[in-house]
Amino acid sequence: MTYFPEEVVEHIFDFLSSHRDRNIVSTVCKAWYRVERLSRRSVFVGNCYAVRPGRVMARFPGMKCLSVKGKPHFADFNLVPHDWGGFALPWIEAAARGCPSLEELRLKRMVVSDESLELLARSFPNFKALVLVSCEGFTTDGLAAIATHCRGLRELDLQENEVEDHGRQWLSCFPDSCTSLESLNFACLKGEVNAGALERLVARCVNLRSLKLNRAISVESLARILARTPHLVELGTGSFTIEHGAEAYQRLIHAFQKCKSLKSLSGFWDVAPRCMQSIYSICPNLTVLNLSYAPAIQGADLVKLIRHCFKLQKLWVLDCIRDKGLAVVASTCKELQELRVFPSDIYGTGTAAVTEEGLVAISSGCSKLNSLLYFCHQMTNAALITVAKNCPHFTRFRLCILDPGKPDPDTNQPLDEGFGAIVRSCKDLRRLSLSGLLTDKVFLYIGEYAARLEMLSIAFAGDSDKGMVYVLNGCKNLRKLEIRDSPFGDAALLENVGKYETMRSLWMSSCDVTLGGCKALAAKMPRLNVEVINDTDESDEMEENPSDMHKVEKMYVYRTLAGARNDAPEFVEIL
Amino acid sequence: MELELGLALPGSDRTPELGVHGEKRASLCRKRGVDEMLGKATLPLFIRKDNDEDGDDDSRQSKHLQELNFSGSRVLVGWPPVKMWRRKSDDCGRRRANCVKVNMEGVAIGRKVDLCLHDSYQALFLTLGQMFPKKQHDGEESDAAYYKVTYEDEDGDWMLVGDVPWELSVLKHKHKKAK
Repeated sequence: MTYFPEEVVEHIFDFLSSHRDRNIVSTVCKAWYRVERLSRRSVFVGNCYAVRPGRVMARFPGMKCLSVKGKPHFADFNLVPHDWGGFALPWIEAAARGCPSLEELRLKRMVVSDESLELLARSFPNFKALVLVSCEGFTTDGLAAIATHCRGLRELDLQENEVEDHGRQWLSCFPDSCTSLESLNFACLKGEVNAGALERLVARCVNLRSLKLNRAISVESLARILARTPHLVELGTGSFTIEHGAEAYQRLIHAFQKCKSLKSLSGFWDVAPRCMQSIYSICPNLTVLNLSYAPAIQGADLVKLIRHCFKLQKLWVLDCIRDKGLAVVASTCKELQELRVFPSDIYGTGTAAVTEEGLVAISSGCSKLNSLLYFCHQMTNAALITVAKNCPHFTRFRLCILDPGKPDPDTNQPLDEGFGAIVRSCKDLRRLSLSGLLTDKVFLYIGEYAARLEMLSIAFAGDSDKGMVYVLNGCKNLRKLEIRDSPFGDAALLENVGKYETMRSLWMSSCDVTLGGCKALAAKMPRLNVEVINDTDESDEMEENPSDMHKVEKMYVYRTLAGARNDAPEFVEIL
Repeated sequence: MELELGLALPGSDRTPELGVHGEKRASLCRKRGVDEMLGKATLPLFIRKDNDEDGDDDSRQSKHLQELNFSGSRVLVGWPPVKMWRRKSDDCGRRRANCVKVNMEGVAIGRKVDLCLHDSYQALFLTLGQMFPKKQHDGEESDAAYYKVTYEDEDGDWMLVGDVPWELSVLKHKHKKAK
């Protein structure tokens, strides 16, 4: 191999933007490993228990951005007990010791205490961006520490976190000298903030481009804020009801008209349909619209709004848009790339809001669609086959038929052929979620055709161990597999144990895997952590020493260099 | 979450829609619950058909599903897969819906109307007309003429609904009466 000076190699590596590429070049030879690790600025840790924090800091001393993910995905749906783990503190402590020049920290599904936020605030003089997604464990006191001590903070982005409200003062902790904010998102906070302090803060942060308010912010306050931030690109409104009548409403319309750069809108809690007229002037510029928190906007009002949004690329709505509304989206939003349709009626007491018809309409109108999350009451094979033909570019396809195990209502057949058509047609599919009545056949198709699949979510599907084996033997790029309530047992689990070292993790709950099977897996594969998670409610009733034949309620398996973790709670057994 | 029973009819207007091949499909909803108009979430009565026609009696999968076919009302944990955070926001959305009690003179049981779902007095009168029984007088059809809807204002006076512009009235009304 031709000799290159290290500076040249480093310069070449600068062009590698993805973590995967950089990981690969670091394995070529010792010299490249050394150059790569010293020049790495951004590190992504997909599973916080796969590697020790100290090891990461030691390997990448020049790290500026760190992303860490904690709990498994099914924690979002309450399937992982509360104290399972995923603590941020060890990572922040290790970074404080090893990488004090850290600038950005992104955490997802982790437990973040106020103590860790305070440590973060004091340890990194160049700290610029904090992004917390689906985290919990902190209060507004922790946010106050960040606001107070992080000089030069550019981004504070809180997405869907559980934050305990300890008062409104935290926002006032941003000093008067703070003018650097570019992005501020506190939409998930339940409590009030000092409206005056907020208005002054956004006014002096002249580079502010993204602002997402919480529900406690009134429309009147929004109008005042918008008057001071005409260059906003992304806005999340607060509560969108008018309380004092026509005057505030006029001020709001006027303020919106001045915001010529607005491209993304979200929020709209408690919105009254009439109020949506105020945004008609911005709609033609919108590329992102999230109305998924606005159940009061239904049918006709929603349609009236959508008709103005012809540049839309990303749309999140509730299923009260109905099939007819989706047909309007299909004819209006030709640039649409991502669509999410959420259920407005989670407990299923009422009308079928969207069906396969809406999805077929979207697929025929929006040929650029590549990402879908669709909650519906029913789906047919014919519809899925049509969708597969119309939209071969799906990278993410998540379909949730609300009634588990429901067949095609026209033919009473399983949906194997429909999903089979999707995986055959969409060669770039990276993420897939299945639902409805499904036999082992769908997994045969997935194993055979879904070559690029990285994440697969299975619920109430399959007939036998063969189903799971098709997937494990077939999908060579599989990284995450999560299964619930499906008849896969020890034979499937142990069929291809080497596979799990090529994957990030495997989750199985309410399946047929036994304790004996888990023990066998752990014994064969020392570099996997096999966690058996017992439901805390039932732990009192359980026998002291359950037999190996005992079925495991929840199992989480992941590859790791760190060995068994030492912060596991009582109800987690690591084999 | 409380379970409420009421005497109202199920509030859905389901009409058989045409399927992809143009065939008619029977009514879709097999979960029955309390009328949504009462404004409270209810537990579903989880009814599901068996897959016996396929001859899949012995398949583990249908057994698996049948195990879940509880006769009582039970909600599956973590299903549908909607983030907990979003569910909580939804609950808040429901509680903060602007529900107003409406009583009709001579009718013992009252109704609740969510003003947020209406954008005009016409819409409101239409809903009220659907909710309350009409006495067969002279075959008069007009809802607006038939009912006198009044509300109790902050001073405790009974005022006629309709004088004030709709937007201003939305957040003020707590209690209405129809005659």
